[in-house]
Amino acid sequence: MAKRKEEKFFDYSLLFIVLFLTCFGLVMIYSVSSYEGSMRYGDAAYYLKSQLFATILGLALMIVVANIPYHFWQKFATLAFIVSHIMILLVLTPIGIERNNARRWIDVFGISLQPAEVAKLGMILFLASLICQMGPKKIRTTRGFLTVLLMPVPICIMVWQITTNLSSAIIIFGIALLMLFVASPDYKRFIIIGSAGAALVAIIIFTIINISTSENMGFRSERVLAWLDPEAFAMDTGFQTLQALYAIGSGGILGKGIGQSMQKLGFLPEAQNDMIFSIICEELGLFGAIAIILMFLLLIWRLMVVANNANDLFGGLLVVGIMGHIAIQVILNIAVVTNTIPNTGISLPFISYGGSSAMFLLIEIGLVLSVARGIKLKDV
Amino acid sequence: MPERETARNKTHNRHKIVIVFFLCTIVFLLLAGRLGYLMIISSEHYTERAKSLHERERSIKAARGRIIDAKGTVIADNKTVCTISVIHNQITDPEGVIAALSRELGLSEDFVRRRVEKYTSIERIRSNVDKTIGDRIRDLGLDGVKVDDDYKRYYPYGSLASKVLGFTGGDNQGIIGLEVKYEEYLMGIPGTILTVTDAKGVEISTQGEERIEPVSGSDLHLSLDINIQSYATQLAMQVMENKEAEGVSIIVMNPSNGEIIAMVDAPEFDLNAPFSLPLEYQEADLTSEETQNVLNGIWRNSCINDTYEPGSAFKIMTAAAGLSGGVLSLSDTFSCPGYIMVEDRRMRCHKPGGHGGQDFTEATKNSCNPAFVTVGLRLGVDNFYHYFEKFGLLKKTGIDLPGEANTIMHKKENMKAVELATVSFGQSFQVTPIQMAVTVASLVNGGNRITPHFAVKSVGQEGEEIFMYPYTEDIISDEVGGILREILEETVADGTGRNAYVEGWHVAGKTATSQTLPRGSGKYIASFVAFAPAYDPQILALVIINNPQGVYYGGQVAAPVVKHLFENILPYALEKP
Repeated sequence: MAKRKEEKFFDYSLLFIVLFLTCFGLVMIYSVSSYEGSMRYGDAAYYLKSQLFATILGLALMIVVANIPYHFWQKFATLAFIVSHIMILLVLTPIGIERNNARRWIDVFGISLQPAEVAKLGMILFLASLICQMGPKKIRTTRGFLTVLLMPVPICIMVWQITTNLSSAIIIFGIALLMLFVASPDYKRFIIIGSAGAALVAIIIFTIINISTSENMGFRSERVLAWLDPEAFAMDTGFQTLQALYAIGSGGILGKGIGQSMQKLGFLPEAQNDMIFSIICEELGLFGAIAIILMFLLLIWRLMVVANNANDLFGGLLVVGIMGHIAIQVILNIAVVTNTIPNTGISLPFISYGGSSAMFLLIEIGLVLSVARGIKLKDV
Repeated sequence: MPERETARNKTHNRHKIVIVFFLCTIVFLLLAGRLGYLMIISSEHYTERAKSLHERERSIKAARGRIIDAKGTVIADNKTVCTISVIHNQITDPEGVIAALSRELGLSEDFVRRRVEKYTSIERIRSNVDKTIGDRIRDLGLDGVKVDDDYKRYYPYGSLASKVLGFTGGDNQGIIGLEVKYEEYLMGIPGTILTVTDAKGVEISTQGEERIEPVSGSDLHLSLDINIQSYATQLAMQVMENKEAEGVSIIVMNPSNGEIIAMVDAPEFDLNAPFSLPLEYQEADLTSEETQNVLNGIWRNSCINDTYEPGSAFKIMTAAAGLSGGVLSLSDTFSCPGYIMVEDRRMRCHKPGGHGGQDFTEATKNSCNPAFVTVGLRLGVDNFYHYFEKFGLLKKTGIDLPGEANTIMHKKENMKAVELATVSFGQSFQVTPIQMAVTVASLVNGGNRITPHFAVKSVGQEGEEIFMYPYTEDIISDEVGGILREILEETVADGTGRNAYVEGWHVAGKTATSQTLPRGSGKYIASFVAFAPAYDPQILALVIINNPQGVYYGGQVAAPVVKHLFENILPYALEKP
């Protein structure tokens, strides 16, 4: 081989977008959480510091991962799959941590970690590897199709039941479905699954509305009712949604200016977590909100470019999984905040407060960068 | 590397990735649309709701309108007091606040502690606190303690015209009397202080505060003259004491337009302490309902809330009806043997031997029952009832005070000769004192039925409103009115009313002595209605003495009160004729 040094590609625009979103997230976390931080911990920067720590750790890991050829991880795929299951089970052991009445975290050497975040990455890695092993012929068969479809089911059920985190379960399953969709040349099956899913959702909502008069309702049914009419549930289930709507609506076109949100002053619960987008709307207005949406769209476009130009199917599928992960979370988060779908806890990637999420997202970006490095410039 | 080749991205993979991207783009666009809807179209709605969530309101009381008498004297005023409240979340030193407030306000520590520790946005500790105490608390500079200036009703004349003016409650709302009748004029519009707070109610100082200034209530100008009211009250108290009477009512009014100049209903009560019980009840352990009943009794204005048998004073109406109905002329003669038979009833005259032969003027001066029974019987039930109604006796007078009582009268179909006879000299039916005064006034003022009233006008920030009252013209002819004025002046000049004679003022009037029900209880009501000058009535007075001990005749007991009243107020109120 004529060892002419090949021009290697590095996706600076992707890195720039991610860094922008991360820094923007830190600014917003400080703006949103300073009130609660000083009220609860006497330190306005309490949440910022904690997030900054996770972000720096995440960036370091991202650089490391970006410099490791991604094929290195393929041999750990099955291990990651198994470890994900075990970590979720660990929530039930004494190292599990309970916060806000939800047992979703485990304590790893003093750092709290959300196994569901590990499971997302684990699932992406495992499915990418699995699909590559099956080869393009097997994936066409019903058996191959069902294998990929059913693999994530146990972990989804565990995330849903053990950590009472339906939204993460939905995201994991959504990622799997998306990867399968890209891997399989088929359309018909996906249209059937899509229609069946839509029908199921419609039936569930219809049933809940009809039984709404009876008294024994789970909190999820009530959330659906609160979604349809948040003002009727203003005092309990619909409270957070309504407060988010107040924040968004009062932002108007130009917003109140950064730091000027009223709703973050204790009115909107968990403002720095899942509801941060509503405060962005309040402070930066419709322009700011759409700018952020455009940034995410740009990020997904970059991921699409990398996925399409990846050297092999494994790399492409990894990026597709990560793209699905980010896209699903952004969409669901904004949909929840704007009361487009019933309220469920989903954080906004790179922006919401949450160490595990930030760290694992940055690791995922590291993977994408690693895949991007494999692209030969002539391919682009 | 063949293996690597098989794992290459296929075309369909790339297609699908692009499809995924475009699906994402579509969903993002939909969400952006949803955001646009929320932030442009619904923005106003949510901004409004959010604002009301962030703002805390503190109301600023409006100063209540003053009440001013005919001569411009303020008889109901406001003084500044303070309202002390605490804001739970702003208190930094709860123990200090509890100690200071319980000390300064003289409240139990427990009481203050409960309020300080209660988790509410703002909790009122005490209102109507003296301004000096309020200022002292303000000077302590305690965090979370609010001292707001406030107004409290103050009556400079204490008990004068208490039952007319009425008083106000804790929120400065009118409770009885003119204070409640003219509430909408007097109360004004409270203002508000809007402050922006966080979810815990802590004010955000950088946001400033928004004030909506209160609008003071309008001043109410009355026809009541506090000097005349004051003198009438003195007289009433005097005669009540001398005659050991249960109560004395005096109404002084202008008969031509219905303006009431004084209204006394002794015993009065202290308007600055309307809820304090009289001595005899203070020791008694009363339930709240019993206490309320006692207080209602104390606040009751007999001039309008109670009815009585008018007695002989009603003969003025009988005469007016007889003259108007053409069944009576001054030259008619009546003979009184001391009684008159009506069907099988023997009705006695107050003079046992009878008045003998007399013309109608003499019969009036004598207040002769048989003569007036004769007039009543000549009219007949239909005619009599017609005039009773025409004079306005069946309806309320429409006075501008709450709780006016209705006339208690026989139904027309139940009225037979005996009832007609008794009604003719003022028995067997009941009217309120104000009804009596107003009806006499309407008969002698030229025949216009007037509406009695206190309020003349209201003067507020938005200008002046002069109150208009309805009246009915020509309930009797001028001629009949002239005859009434003449015979009533003679009654005072040298008839049963001579004790009310005031040199040089042409006083006219009629005595009355009636029994209270049940008959035979030995309780009497002595009364006298008088007006002056007789040829052009400008002042009319009605004095009612309830259950005087000893001599109880109206001419003996009530007429002298009118005499004293007129002697003093006529030179003050009218020009010397």
